[in-house]
Amino acid sequence: MQAKTSLEDFQALVRRAGLTLSPAQIVELHSGWAYIEPMLERIRAHGRGREADLALTFRPDMF
Amino acid sequence: METPTIAEAARLIAAREISPVELATHCLDRIQEVDPALHSFIVVTPERALDDARASEARVMKGEALGRLDGIPIAHKDIYGTRGIATTAHSKLLQGWVPTEDATTVRKLAEAGTVMLGKLATHEFAFGGPSFDLPWPPVCNPWNTDHFTSGSSSGTGAAVAAGLILGGTGSDTGGSIRGPAAFCGIAGIKPTYGLCSRAGILPLSFSLDHAGPMAWTVEDCALLLQAMAGYDAADPASADRPVADFSAKLGQDAKGLRIGVVRHWHETDQRVSPAVQAGIDGAIAVWRAQGADIREVILPSLYEYQAANYVILVCEAFALHEPWMRTRFNDYGELLRDRMAFGGLMAATDYVQALRRRRELCAITAAAMADLDLIVTAGAPTVAPRIDNLPKWASLEKPSFTNPFNITGMPAMCVCSGFGEGGLPVAVQIAAKPFQEATLFQAAHAFEQATDFRGRRPEVQSLPDLSGRLAGAGLNLPQGDMAAIGEMVQELTTGAATLGGRRSYGQEPASVFHARAGD
Repeated sequence: MQAKTSLEDFQALVRRAGLTLSPAQIVELHSGWAYIEPMLERIRAHGRGREADLALTFRPDMF
Repeated sequence: METPTIAEAARLIAAREISPVELATHCLDRIQEVDPALHSFIVVTPERALDDARASEARVMKGEALGRLDGIPIAHKDIYGTRGIATTAHSKLLQGWVPTEDATTVRKLAEAGTVMLGKLATHEFAFGGPSFDLPWPPVCNPWNTDHFTSGSSSGTGAAVAAGLILGGTGSDTGGSIRGPAAFCGIAGIKPTYGLCSRAGILPLSFSLDHAGPMAWTVEDCALLLQAMAGYDAADPASADRPVADFSAKLGQDAKGLRIGVVRHWHETDQRVSPAVQAGIDGAIAVWRAQGADIREVILPSLYEYQAANYVILVCEAFALHEPWMRTRFNDYGELLRDRMAFGGLMAATDYVQALRRRRELCAITAAAMADLDLIVTAGAPTVAPRIDNLPKWASLEKPSFTNPFNITGMPAMCVCSGFGEGGLPVAVQIAAKPFQEATLFQAAHAFEQATDFRGRRPEVQSLPDLSGRLAGAGLNLPQGDMAAIGEMVQELTTGAATLGGRRSYGQEPASVFHARAGD
């Protein structure tokens, strides 16, 4: 499984996060990013309305 | 002496047929005998245990027992803060840290009279694992020590199954109580979010973390949860409401319960093994025979819950660990640091979208539960896999059966539903509406009572005691090193046994010294 994000772009994400990783560690992490990308697509892909709220105020009594 | 359940031990203590000191001593002896093969304890606290047990015994003898947990030996997952006792999170980063306060749940269990035996191994900071690059080895499954316990409450799962403790604490952010309960063949409940205080427990993900108990039986989980639950102003998410009587419905069968089976989760989204399927079908058959109303329910795909759970979890975890991730990255184990790093690579909008998705998933699930009491699915897709053969990204490849109930905050528990390949246990998972733990326990207990799966305990093969031989060689090694050497010796002994065979007297070995070698 191959990440859609290129290794170069991925390195930029790692730098932005403030992580100091060896080249081998970045390549290793990049291999796992391939599994994260579909998750991000899933949470972005729902055509929810602008008013759809966050779950920050989680309320179990909504059931 | 067989390790009793908490309910049995409570009866024996009340009848003065066993003393808390005898019970604690039994558990301490068993830890010494068996745990070198399991690694379920980070630290054993025998002096504290015997002090607790003697105090309990004095209360019992004066007729002042504090309740059914008085004198019951337990231990805590090593992310639960314990005053004066090291709390490591199984990590090099916290090695030697000694909290000055007990976690609220630790204090409440102590106030109920429990006897604390020590601190239990976990996946590092309750995430990642099994890891072989930490100061302590990963926990081995007592049903077969070559196999994984799941995690992150791995020490509690193994120690309960092997009868080293009668119960213990766990935490669950994506399935960390229910996974080890499933693989170790015990009972474990993730209660409703907010029911048990998180104060004093090292956090992983604020909005997904749940504290809860693990034990051999459903009844024992109910007893432990009774002591752990309750409002705590020190936890901002704590639910300020009366605590139910969790044992109130134990003994009632499933008649009249409306149970929804989320068949597509375990038959399509992640197809389970035949043994797991048989366990689920068996549980449904028991409840149906008792008069439950069994229906099929359709919910969003497991992948939907997994995506929201994972994004929220790693973003919150990275925020917690950010300073150390930036300055001490290589002091974490590889599995934890690499999984947690993903949280630093996501955009703020990803976190917000995951929270919006969480709200939608809660609403959809609540609507589906409107005319149901319980929903049922698998606890894990298979029996425990081998511990030495897990792909690094295995937990990301397939969705988890446990994530949906961290996302929704609903109470959910795993109970043993039989045995599969290699005699390893399988589990069924049951979930209820928020704060309906008593109904959850009712159905789980009714199933447990209708089966004989609690009659079988794992037989752990203890490692050879090498301490005398190593001391004779002038080696005074820490317990962890001793255990590792013990394991190697066991493997070498097994390997050496295969070299036996019939060969004639005087048959030459291959390594014969030859004088001409130096010519």
